[in-house]
Amino acid sequence: MSFFRRSPWILHYDGSSCNGCDIEVLACLTPLYDVERFGVVNTGNPKHADILLVTGSVNERNVEIVENLYRQMPDPKVVVAVGACACSGGIFARAYNVQGGIDRVVPVDVYVPGCAARPERIIDGVVQGIAALEGKRAAMAAGRRRGALRPQSGSQPAGAA
Amino acid sequence: MSGLAGAVLFVVLAPVAGGLLVGADRVVTARMQGRVGPPLLQPFYDVGKLLEKEARQVNPVAEPLLLGHLAFMALTGALVLGGVDLLFTVFVFALAALCLVLAAGSVASPFSHAGAERELIVLLATEPFFILMLAAVCKVTGASTFAGVLASPVAVAEELPGVLLAFLFVATVKLRKSPFDIAASHHPHQELVSGLTSDMSGRLLAYVHLAHWYETALLAVFVVLFFNRSVPLGLAVFLLAYAVEILVDNSTSRAKWELVLRSSWAVTLLFSGGNVLAVFLLGR
Amino acid sequence: MAAATAGPGSLLPALTVFLVAFPLLAGVVLLFTTAPSVRNVIVVGASTVVALASVAAAVAFGNGADVFYGLPGDASPQTAIFIAEVAIALFVIGIGLHYRRFLAPALALAQLAIAIWLQVGGHEPAPDPSRLFWFDRLAMVLVLIVGIIGPLICIHALGYMRDYQRSYPLIRGRRTAFFFLLFLFLSSMFGLVLSNDLPLMLVFWEITTLCSFLLIGYTRTPETIGYAFRALNMNLLGGLGFSIAIVLLSGRPGGLDLARLTAQPAGAVLLPAIALLALAGLTKSAQMPFSSWLIGAMYAPTPTSALLHSSTMVKAGVFLLLRLAPAMAGTEVGTLVAFVGLLTFLFVSLVAVTEQNTKKVLAYSTIANLGLIAGCAGIATPQTVWVGVMIVVFHAVAKSLLFLVVGTLENRLYTKDMEHFDGLLSRMRRVSILALTGIAGMFVAPFGIVIAKWSAIRAFIEVPGWEGAACLLIMAFGSALTIFYWGKMLLKVLSTRAVDPGERALEERVSGFEWFSETAHAAGVVGVAALVGVISERVVGPYALGAFHAAPRTFLDVSPAMLVVLLASVLFLPALGFWAWRRRDYDQADFYASGRQAGADRVVGAALGGTREITLRNYYLEGVVDGGLVFRVGTAVCALVLAAMVVVPAVVRA
Ligand code: SF4
Repeated sequence: MSFFRRSPWILHYDGSSCNGCDIEVLACLTPLYDVERFGVVNTGNPKHADILLVTGSVNERNVEIVENLYRQMPDPKVVVAVGACACSGGIFARAYNVQGGIDRVVPVDVYVPGCAARPERIIDGVVQGIAALEGKRAAMAAGRRRGALRPQSGSQPAGAA
Repeated sequence: MSGLAGAVLFVVLAPVAGGLLVGADRVVTARMQGRVGPPLLQPFYDVGKLLEKEARQVNPVAEPLLLGHLAFMALTGALVLGGVDLLFTVFVFALAALCLVLAAGSVASPFSHAGAERELIVLLATEPFFILMLAAVCKVTGASTFAGVLASPVAVAEELPGVLLAFLFVATVKLRKSPFDIAASHHPHQELVSGLTSDMSGRLLAYVHLAHWYETALLAVFVVLFFNRSVPLGLAVFLLAYAVEILVDNSTSRAKWELVLRSSWAVTLLFSGGNVLAVFLLGR
Repeated sequence: MAAATAGPGSLLPALTVFLVAFPLLAGVVLLFTTAPSVRNVIVVGASTVVALASVAAAVAFGNGADVFYGLPGDASPQTAIFIAEVAIALFVIGIGLHYRRFLAPALALAQLAIAIWLQVGGHEPAPDPSRLFWFDRLAMVLVLIVGIIGPLICIHALGYMRDYQRSYPLIRGRRTAFFFLLFLFLSSMFGLVLSNDLPLMLVFWEITTLCSFLLIGYTRTPETIGYAFRALNMNLLGGLGFSIAIVLLSGRPGGLDLARLTAQPAGAVLLPAIALLALAGLTKSAQMPFSSWLIGAMYAPTPTSALLHSSTMVKAGVFLLLRLAPAMAGTEVGTLVAFVGLLTFLFVSLVAVTEQNTKKVLAYSTIANLGLIAGCAGIATPQTVWVGVMIVVFHAVAKSLLFLVVGTLENRLYTKDMEHFDGLLSRMRRVSILALTGIAGMFVAPFGIVIAKWSAIRAFIEVPGWEGAACLLIMAFGSALTIFYWGKMLLKVLSTRAVDPGERALEERVSGFEWFSETAHAAGVVGVAALVGVISERVVGPYALGAFHAAPRTFLDVSPAMLVVLLASVLFLPALGFWAWRRRDYDQADFYASGRQAGADRVVGAALGGTREITLRNYYLEGVVDGGLVFRVGTAVCALVLAAMVVVPAVVRA
């Protein structure tokens, strides 16, 4: 049995959003929805996170940050795009500085529609994310058994001169 | 209970007890906030997951240092229950804490480094108390080992009420509970991100969690030292105190490190220092 | 007192003369040696001979009863002592007048007056020619420290001074004088630790003071001259106390015989004289209020700091206190000495957490450890004296290593600032591992200092009354402060970062002399840690019991579990260094910086598309601890205690 199902830790990143979806994400943590019931923790740190949950679109300035945060998350990891903005750019799609949805930068596993996305939908998205996470974990474990190299991301080891 | 059996028992059971306590902590915290909260076994799921995840190595020394942190923390408890001189164990305890500081402070992340420096301050704030506490316990009982203290006819808590009060205060600092969670926090969106653990992932973070469970169990053992006439009473008092800690944790916000340092030293000096002075003057 | 006179076959008198005379001779030869290659040969050769001779002395002594002896042929040194005293005084007066500093000449003049009164006035009883020297286990410990660590430091100095001279080209080549002073110091140090006759000891005592003075002022800048005179003034004050003690004791038969003096039952002792001797010991080991001289002494070239100001000369002070311990037991002088020492330990540890200059941190730590030893000597039970001697041993090896490492770093990185040692493990791997060994030796759980601290706490538990509680409080806070400043230093050494080949190459220019000396030191640190049981049970334990006529018992009740822990931790830090050395599977650019890390170690994105490098600094408790204020308060408090120590016995007697 995998523990990922029971302990998905989330990194919530807020791109170019109107903050509407962010409020809904926080609502998930409130007593009414209480996602901690499922072991979900809002970590605020990519090194600890399993699920990158992005609200809002990607713009010229934050594209690098989304990339960096995603790269810093240890494998296995999934991305959940929450709200119209994160999925496609939403109402900001035509703004001068907006590049579009976050799938322009990082591979998205689950799209949660809505403007704003409802907490129920967000939780549903996270649950689907967990399923994807489980798949990646299994693939990783199989790869390790076959003796393949572990996925290596990031730049060259600087100390290995 | 022979020494070796006690030591083995601690190494095996302490993480179970500590993990359960942390799980209970999360449930109680959730209930206090009107939520249902995670399952009791959540901490075990978390650590299980962390062990399965990739561990990103930012630095060549972090992993051995964290293993050292875990090993020395477990060792401290094993030595206490194994019947080694109590005063000696306090140095191993400090070494364990120091390993964590070094692991967190040796990476480039400013958040991790700040957390490490603050943990060093926590060590500075709490270390005098632990030395004084164990010395006082040895003084009043005339014993030098855990078994010796348990066998002593002297009721330690009656002799050392001030030290016990100070313990409750210092334990809050040591367990990184609010308002003294200056070095790291479980809650996001703070100035420190995850503080100490900012750059630890996968099994590295799992070591920290495990060590924290050992540490929690060790504090329980220390409380038992005060209630040496009845071990169940000691454990009950520990649980009660822990419940109070959770309440305080939920109702206060983080203090500055200056306050943590000053208040811990003041409490150590006034309550335990005063108590120890009284013990020496009354000629026990 | 087990007082066996050395048999005719004993080598000790000859070896003692050799230990004093040979380094002196080597020093004089070095004074006239200007060719570096010849100097290298002489220093290495003389160092080897000194080390062998000191080991030979220890072997000749064996592990037996105390040995008292005089010069070969029982020659009387009285006239020579007097001539030496006059020469020292005239030298101080001359140099003081030359630099227009008048306190030191005044103190020297006072000492000179006392010497003349004693000698010419015939007030000083002639020393027993067969009891000039006293070789016992404590003397053996110090002979071995001086005789092994001293030569190693001299060898290190060969490499260090070459680079030092390069870094400070304005200083004229005074290396001949430098090495002369080092060997002169070794000679007088051997004399000091072996003397049983107090006037004889005083002469050696003052020669070490002069060596220290001249070495601190080596660069002859106004700054170092000021510090040199500060050291001279304070040590001469202690020397004056020593002289007055001799005056007080000279009226008594055998009063100037150190062994007889300290073997007297408490109560029969002339307490004011003991207090004045203790004053001399406290000044020499830089206890508050005299700590400032040792901090100033850090301006001397680093081998000086290693040799005089951490491993040997300052140990002479606590050596005298440990000698006096049986006479101080249970007296108010003992209690007050203990509090001067322990309060110094606490105050300077507090100052050390605010200090950024590595050499000064090492100096504060030295004073703190000496304070701990003084505290143990003052409490004066077999247990505490045992602790004191153990700290002398461990501290000498580990601290000397650390000073030498800092010296090497200083010549490579041109700084003593702890913050600039950032990433040391990546930049200078071998030096880092040596530094880790030294730091582990100083404070990480395994080694002797922790064993000693642990035993000190154990011993203080037994001290009755408020004194016991106060000692415990001081130990508790002092130990925590110690962990704090060593922890910060470790953070700097252990942090790793990307380095360019230029930085890597820095290490390749460290001289072979330095490598040899530091590696030998590191081996020594591990060696004494491994042999802790032997040192305790065969040497230090029997000494402590002998000094107090206490029943034999063992001191180290270390359980097997503890030994395992000790061994595990012994290997921990150096092993860590090796691990880091070999490991390749990490990525230093992958640190967390809110998603703004810019693909290289410590570089983050900045405004307008630029990048900036992160600087990480330690906390120095600004706003909570004011180092300068703490130092002044400590000085004032300890000055009061010290004044009480000198005045109280005199008043009580009157
Ligand atoms: S999807 Fe709608 S509610 Fe959500 S961030 Fe975009 S505009 Fe706001």
